Amino acid sequence: METRIQSKAFQELSQAAETLVNPAIQDWKGQGSKVVGYFCSAMPEEVITAAGLLPFRMRATGSTGTDLSDTYFSSINCSFPRHCFNIALQGGFDFLDGVVCMNSCDNVRRIYDNWKRQLPTTLVHIMSLPRKTGEPQVEWFRDEVANLKQLLEKHFDIEITDERLWYAIKLHNETRRLQRKLYDLRKADNPPITGTEALAVTVAGTAMPKERYNQLLRELLNELSESPGNADYRARLLLMGGILDDPAYVKVIESQGGLVVTDSLCFGSRMLWNDIDEGASDPIAALAQYYVADRPSCPRMFGDYERRIGLVRDMIRDFKVDGVILERLAFCDHWGFEQFTIENDLKDDNVPCLIMDREYIMSGVGQLRTRVQAFLETMGR
Amino acid sequence: MVDKGLERTIAERDHFEFLLKFLEESPYETSHLLIPLVKANLDHYKDTVRYIEEGKPIIASYFSNAPEIFTAMDIHWYCPVSAAFAGAGANPYLMNDLEGADKLAVSSDICTLLRMAMYYTEAGLLPRPTAIVGMIIPCDGIVALHEASRRSKEWRGIPMFAPDPPYFTDERSIDYFAQELRRMVDFLTEHTGQKLDIGRLREVVEVTNEQYQLWQEINELRRAVPCPFNWGVGGGPFALTQNRWVGDPRGLEWFKAALADSEKLVKAGKGWLENERIRLLWFDVHPTWFFDLAPWLEEEWKAIIVMDMFSYCPYTLVDTSSEETMFHDLAKRNLMDTTMIRQAVGVADNFASDLVRIVKDYKIDCVVWPAHMGHKDGAASVGIMREICRDLGVPFLSIGIDTFDPRYTTPDEVKNTMSQFFTAMGLG
Amino acid sequence: MLVGGCDVGSATGKAVVMKDGEIISYVIIPSTTKPEVTARTVMDEAIEKAGLSSIDDLDYIVGTGYGRLKVPFANENISEITCHARGAHWLSPTVRTVVDIGGQDCKVMSIDEKGKVLEFVMNDRCAAGTGRFFEAMARVLDCGLEGLSSLSLQGKNPSTITSQCSVFAESEVVTLINEGMELVDIVAGLHNSIAGRLNSMVRKVGLVEDLALTGGCAKNDGLAKALEEKLGVAVKKLPQDPQIAGAIGAALIAEEKLNGQS
Repeated sequence: METRIQSKAFQELSQAAETLVNPAIQDWKGQGSKVVGYFCSAMPEEVITAAGLLPFRMRATGSTGTDLSDTYFSSINCSFPRHCFNIALQGGFDFLDGVVCMNSCDNVRRIYDNWKRQLPTTLVHIMSLPRKTGEPQVEWFRDEVANLKQLLEKHFDIEITDERLWYAIKLHNETRRLQRKLYDLRKADNPPITGTEALAVTVAGTAMPKERYNQLLRELLNELSESPGNADYRARLLLMGGILDDPAYVKVIESQGGLVVTDSLCFGSRMLWNDIDEGASDPIAALAQYYVADRPSCPRMFGDYERRIGLVRDMIRDFKVDGVILERLAFCDHWGFEQFTIENDLKDDNVPCLIMDREYIMSGVGQLRTRVQAFLETMGR
Repeated sequence: MVDKGLERTIAERDHFEFLLKFLEESPYETSHLLIPLVKANLDHYKDTVRYIEEGKPIIASYFSNAPEIFTAMDIHWYCPVSAAFAGAGANPYLMNDLEGADKLAVSSDICTLLRMAMYYTEAGLLPRPTAIVGMIIPCDGIVALHEASRRSKEWRGIPMFAPDPPYFTDERSIDYFAQELRRMVDFLTEHTGQKLDIGRLREVVEVTNEQYQLWQEINELRRAVPCPFNWGVGGGPFALTQNRWVGDPRGLEWFKAALADSEKLVKAGKGWLENERIRLLWFDVHPTWFFDLAPWLEEEWKAIIVMDMFSYCPYTLVDTSSEETMFHDLAKRNLMDTTMIRQAVGVADNFASDLVRIVKDYKIDCVVWPAHMGHKDGAASVGIMREICRDLGVPFLSIGIDTFDPRYTTPDEVKNTMSQFFTAMGLG
Repeated sequence: MLVGGCDVGSATGKAVVMKDGEIISYVIIPSTTKPEVTARTVMDEAIEKAGLSSIDDLDYIVGTGYGRLKVPFANENISEITCHARGAHWLSPTVRTVVDIGGQDCKVMSIDEKGKVLEFVMNDRCAAGTGRFFEAMARVLDCGLEGLSSLSLQGKNPSTITSQCSVFAESEVVTLINEGMELVDIVAGLHNSIAGRLNSMVRKVGLVEDLALTGGCAKNDGLAKALEEKLGVAVKKLPQDPQIAGAIGAALIAEEKLNGQS
């Protein structure tokens, strides 16, 4: 990706976002270590780290079609699971030693059933994430996390001690802390990093050992702290919506002169605003508390709309946002209704809003450009 | 009245009053089964109007929320999405409602039923409830609908609760859901002032147990060759046990009459159809335009809907010996054995085992997956369904319809597709 | 002050030259496969028609349309959404809703009293309701685009066309012809179906009168009538060729840029 950021740290992060199996993963496997893939940002990946395994957030970066997965999914299914499963059928995920699915949504949950039936991966598991964020739900998920831990212990013949869990929690918290520092820099009038670059950074964090990632983040933050930043943009934008792991999409948006200064994305800020409570007595309970209740929810959660719009409003204020772009993967029920509701509330707030549908693998660049350009013009920018 | 959102409810009440009169005067064969269903619907709409006009607490809820508890607590509830099909009485405003839904700025790839429900909310066509006990299963869409109900300023402040469904169906899951049902009771008491008396609950559940028992017997008889059951009353069992006469002895009379009808035919070695040639599994609920398709299937192809999703809910009867056993079994029933929920929730093995079971028990000649545009999880299960049917040696057809909107794929187009399928598979 | 607006569409290229706020020439040509060639050709013709000697006589040029990035002589480019809105409003200042039906997309804009876009909705994913669709239909029915319009106006019992997709609608039309349906009714039905799609889009943005049509297909009176029936309001006819609304808007914005107004 073309960028003004010079550091090798950024190059490495950028490459990790643009490929599926980056060098860090290759090295990891080369050393004989194992990788467990997982879906959904609500996955307690710390358990995988604590097991001495590498957690890898599933993406279908570089997918060129769904010819193989079309046998199992339909044209009215979301393109994200279709592309992921297609890569799986092509053997693109053979490097995984296990995959943990989540009942995030109707489209994605069937990856579990189809994967189990069609692929030889020896560990295929699905976790039951609650649909509400209350105490009983945290308790339920605590048992889910405990079950996951036992499953990993049994399958990989290892012991996951509380000590290891705390180590992982502190490590991942450090990641979030460093990422928040990155976002803080974007509050300025002259942010040193674009939305395109920031997404590449956060996506990269889901595809390499956190120790290495934190190191790269520190280097990047050092460079950015020296940067004069960029004040040459037409408008400050907040980008929100469903699964978006492709910086190229943000690039097209930013090519029209707007700057994405923050987001509500599950590969973006929703991964980093809160920390797991390091003062808790039970690490498994602490994980459940964070993943169910404390971190920002996505629209799949019932009864949590007020908290979601609250976060968006806070960000609009703190990041001095001029306009909001709400993207949705076609066929997504959750984001479809969320777009419908949020647009209304933002209209009451006098915040301009652009609603767009997209496919997981980017297409229609011309149309995207036109819409964003028209949106900026409508804002009077 | 319009302010209280009663306009449509009153229209529906009047519609059922008219329908009742029509049926009472018609010589149509199964009138004696349809009339009680219409009466049950009529009573429901009359009660809804009365409760709102008298300012009494009324809850918006769903069939999946242990309706026995509502009956036992003497709480009147209505279902926000049922206006779309007017409680299975066929919605006379269907086209108007579809156009209303189309005009909303909601993506059209979302299930039409939910878009229609959104339209009802936004257009003020639903009576404003005291509280909402929502639904989280079986699909994303219904969750999303509830989140979006916050959009309407009218509905924003209404207290809302929904029992959270675990993804699995083991004992741990059932216990968790039972606790959720207990929380539902607390929520209902808080907002209506009504309390749950366990003795009353037992009475209610004992009646529904009997209803379900009779339902199972009717289902058993549907296995007969030829099949004695008529699609026209197909939605009846579901409507009565989970929506209208929940725990009501009047429901028992209906089931006994339906059972007697089927028994008579089976004893005489006869079926609903004169010369039944195709035994079909319609693996979904009945579309709003089924009256345009099902009779044609019977006449043109001698095809009978032996089983469908509305009807297949086998389950163990609720153990009424204690409060614990009742909550446990009601939770199990709601989580696993309710219409549509049973076939959509959880892992694919849930519907897969049903499919195998039904094909074998009911001697199914072909499986039809209508592929309703809102069924995203089903759409992602087509490969699995196809493989199962292949293993069973039974033809499988996936159509691509909208259960609520006949414009999406018209009944004529569906007939065409099915004809080609039957011919190609050498059926009928 | 001499300014130019150049709208490079997929089907046609349009250029407008304005002097001190008045149109002194405009040209519409069929598009070539190269947008920069279309732009150059149409602009040169407009310059000539205006009695000017060269493109350098223009003080500012704004490019718009599908090929706007390939207008080499444009000082800047603006989206066709903004341009069509401005153009329609300038042509008829009471217009508040603009329905633009172009070669391969259609859009609806709601605008304020200054011609500024408040909200917009686009359909650029399929051909239904666009110039392409009408061309295809004219081919199938062997009647030409003007023919489509006049046939539609004669239809007394419009057929119902249910296909959402224009490709399928074509085969539906062939079926209806074979079944002996009256041609005028089929064509009226087609127009109704398109009007229905446009109606949906208008509703999403909110209908505020007056409503005007722009773009090549705006000249189809049959479509205008069908739309009027669906919407329940009259379509405001624009005093100039509606196809040049985008180029007019572009020229107006060019003038504003010169005056430092935006």
